[in-house]
Amino acid sequence: MKRTRWSFWWHLGSLPILLLTLLPVYLMLKISVSPPAEVLTPHPTFGLHHVTGEHWKALLTSGALWPPLLKSLLVATWTMLGAIALAAPAAYAIARLPQRWKYPLLLSFFASRMIPEVGVALPVAVQFLRWGLEDTQLGLALAHLIRTLPFVVWILAGTFETIPVALEESAQVDGCHRLQILWYVVFPLAAPGVAVAALFAWLESWNEFTYALYLSLTENTLPLQTYYYVIRGSWFDAATYATFLAVPVMLITAALQRYLKAGYLMGALKG
Amino acid sequence: MPQKLKHHTLTGLMVLPLFLYLLAFAAVPLFSCVVLSLTDGASNAFPSLDNYRVLFRDDQFGQAFQNTLWLTSLGVSLEVLLGLAVALVLQRLVWGRAFVRAVVLTPLGLPTVVAGVMFIYLFSSTGYVNEFLYRLGLISAPIDWVYGGWRSLGVLLMAELWKVTPVVAFILLAGLESIPETVYEAAAVDGAGAWRQFWHVTLPLLRPSLLMAVVVRAIDAFRVFELPLILTGKSFPVLGTLAYSEYYEYDNPFTSAAAATVLLAIIAACIGGYLFLMTRRPMEGA
Repeated sequence: MKRTRWSFWWHLGSLPILLLTLLPVYLMLKISVSPPAEVLTPHPTFGLHHVTGEHWKALLTSGALWPPLLKSLLVATWTMLGAIALAAPAAYAIARLPQRWKYPLLLSFFASRMIPEVGVALPVAVQFLRWGLEDTQLGLALAHLIRTLPFVVWILAGTFETIPVALEESAQVDGCHRLQILWYVVFPLAAPGVAVAALFAWLESWNEFTYALYLSLTENTLPLQTYYYVIRGSWFDAATYATFLAVPVMLITAALQRYLKAGYLMGALKG
Repeated sequence: MPQKLKHHTLTGLMVLPLFLYLLAFAAVPLFSCVVLSLTDGASNAFPSLDNYRVLFRDDQFGQAFQNTLWLTSLGVSLEVLLGLAVALVLQRLVWGRAFVRAVVLTPLGLPTVVAGVMFIYLFSSTGYVNEFLYRLGLISAPIDWVYGGWRSLGVLLMAELWKVTPVVAFILLAGLESIPETVYEAAAVDGAGAWRQFWHVTLPLLRPSLLMAVVVRAIDAFRVFELPLILTGKSFPVLGTLAYSEYYEYDNPFTSAAAATVLLAIIAACIGGYLFLMTRRPMEGA
């Protein structure tokens, strides 16, 4: 077949893709373990000549890591829990609506993902200042939900749709009332989908920058702390912090890989 | 009947919290952003177009507007071309398919800040791109990549491409995989070579996915914020960073809101255009 004859060239074509994708990642990792003499010169080296742990030691011992790390971890966790609590019931109800209602509704929720953050973050920051929510974990988690919720509803509605209504009906015949059906029939079947959605929500909050920038006065999140080192021009701190940020992300995306579908990607992650 | 009523009440109760949340934290702030942009900061008069007048007279705004349009139009076109190439390669891989897929997905999940840091290392004046060009003998003195103008645009395009081409590639890959093999077989029987198959079978059938990729990316691209903030700063303002600096550096929430509203209007026009295209050709949008 014609396709197989070309196969070699297509495989060769994957090499530049791999190289260009991995090169920036490699450089970041390399800088995080390189002595300054190899990096802060007019002619930096590409290879790993001398490996040093000094930047990583500085990251772990300076004490600047822990407060942002704790804030990022907690805000991401609150965002995840809040997203599931708000989105799961709504997604279930939407999944059981007739077609002509379902998609317009899901799409209109999605509109809130398309809002420019700089437009919403400003009034939210002003309002939070009045409510005393500025610079708090709760406030930031509430802001992160703006971006995260529509997406989580989207994934969960897809999950609940795959659970046949017939199962619920037979449970009803067996005498379950609706809440029992939800708890004993629907929820266990939906659990994997809920877990995927929860991880996505966590990741979105962990990665988020713009709302954090508008809503934080004294306590940085990890992405903000990284940005702070970027402004100061500390290349090595930026490298270790950025790597530190990237590690959980890579683990979670690797775990979620097979759940990534084009539909999810539609609104999933932005540039 | 009461059973049915109960059913609707339960549905309502389940959707209500989400609905209220989005109302309070998305719809209301958005509305106040527009109101803020129409409020005169000095006298609190409403409605007033003063903020827009100030903004439109400002050189930075004109630049930011142009920069945003260039970045979006060039960025989205390049992303679609490159994304299509990556998707075609991914579809045809037999050996190492899972590995290449995983690598291609990597930039997509990473925080944008991290992508920004990586591209600083590449494009700073003592960075790796300059060193690479120097070793090739193409330059003798380092190039200041983020000086502004076309070079800054190029740097931002590279960073954007690196970060988001995977999104486009995976949307298009799903589209490619949904084209049944039998269509190609029929085309081959009719004597169509690889190139004609691509041009007359693949591309037309891929149109819904292409349209979706373009719109999804365009909406995101207009909002670009973190990469210009980190990589080019003041030398290459876009609407997002302009709105930010109006508020944080000049302490003027009113012009900041006006800049954000302009951005919002562009995005709304973009969504409107997409819906128009969808409803005009209802079969293709699904």
